[in-house]
Amino acid sequence: MTANNSPETTSHESGVVVTRIFDAPRALVWKAWTDPQHLMKWWGPKNFTLPTCKVDLRVGGKYLFCMRSPEGKDLWSTGTYREVVPREKLVYIYSFADEKGNIVPASHYWMGVDLPLEMKVIITFEDHQGKTKMTLRHIGLPAGEMEEMTSVGWNESFDKLAASLK
Amino acid sequence: MIALAHPARRAILQRLSLGEARVTEIARPFDMSLNAVSKHILILERAHLVRRRRDGREHFLAANIDPLGEAADWIEQYRRLWRERLDRLNEYLRELQLNEKKQPKEKDNDRKQ
Repeated sequence: MTANNSPETTSHESGVVVTRIFDAPRALVWKAWTDPQHLMKWWGPKNFTLPTCKVDLRVGGKYLFCMRSPEGKDLWSTGTYREVVPREKLVYIYSFADEKGNIVPASHYWMGVDLPLEMKVIITFEDHQGKTKMTLRHIGLPAGEMEEMTSVGWNESFDKLAASLK
Repeated sequence: MIALAHPARRAILQRLSLGEARVTEIARPFDMSLNAVSKHILILERAHLVRRRRDGREHFLAANIDPLGEAADWIEQYRRLWRERLDRLNEYLRELQLNEKKQPKEKDNDRKQ
């Protein structure tokens, strides 16, 4: 492991944890995460574009992203910001969406059938020897914690997922 | 994610979500060779999105909805996604700072604090 930008990825029972060190000031890393002008430059996979990137950066505010694949397929995602502490912490809920921002199950895009309907992403930023240490946790929310329920049938998948994670 | 990047593969999954099917049945609506369809199926199998069952000489395919496999799968998918995405962020931050050095005036205010 080198000090510079070594990815540490650990699997937790309910999600993913990634730690990264970026050779950039904390204020800039924060901006890259929260300013649409910056997000549009790095968020999508290679050759994807981000034709829609709306960010209402405040607790309870929503975002709406659209990633366009090279063949022109759109993948929308949305969610609510839960915690916004500039340059320190960002917490948001993440779901797949349609173009109007309505939550849809991942199966709408033919992603894994049992993907949670809502996921939570928690990112913290710390100074680290003149660099910025970022820790990201991406977890699936169990059915009980869901904010908006749009599909009753989806509960079953959640029960299965919850059972499998025990 | 890559497994789902191709429209044919999404269509194959869509078909299999309706129930088990033979390779030839899956291939029928496509305007491509059986060989090409088989390649797409193989990619889906590698991504654990499709399962294959053999009954004598017949091969049956099904969408993989094993909950344990799926749970591991979405976590694995997202681990990969974040790894790639953060690689791009790292690259972007580097470029951004290089450009800033060239044009120190422009973004200076953003960097304060």
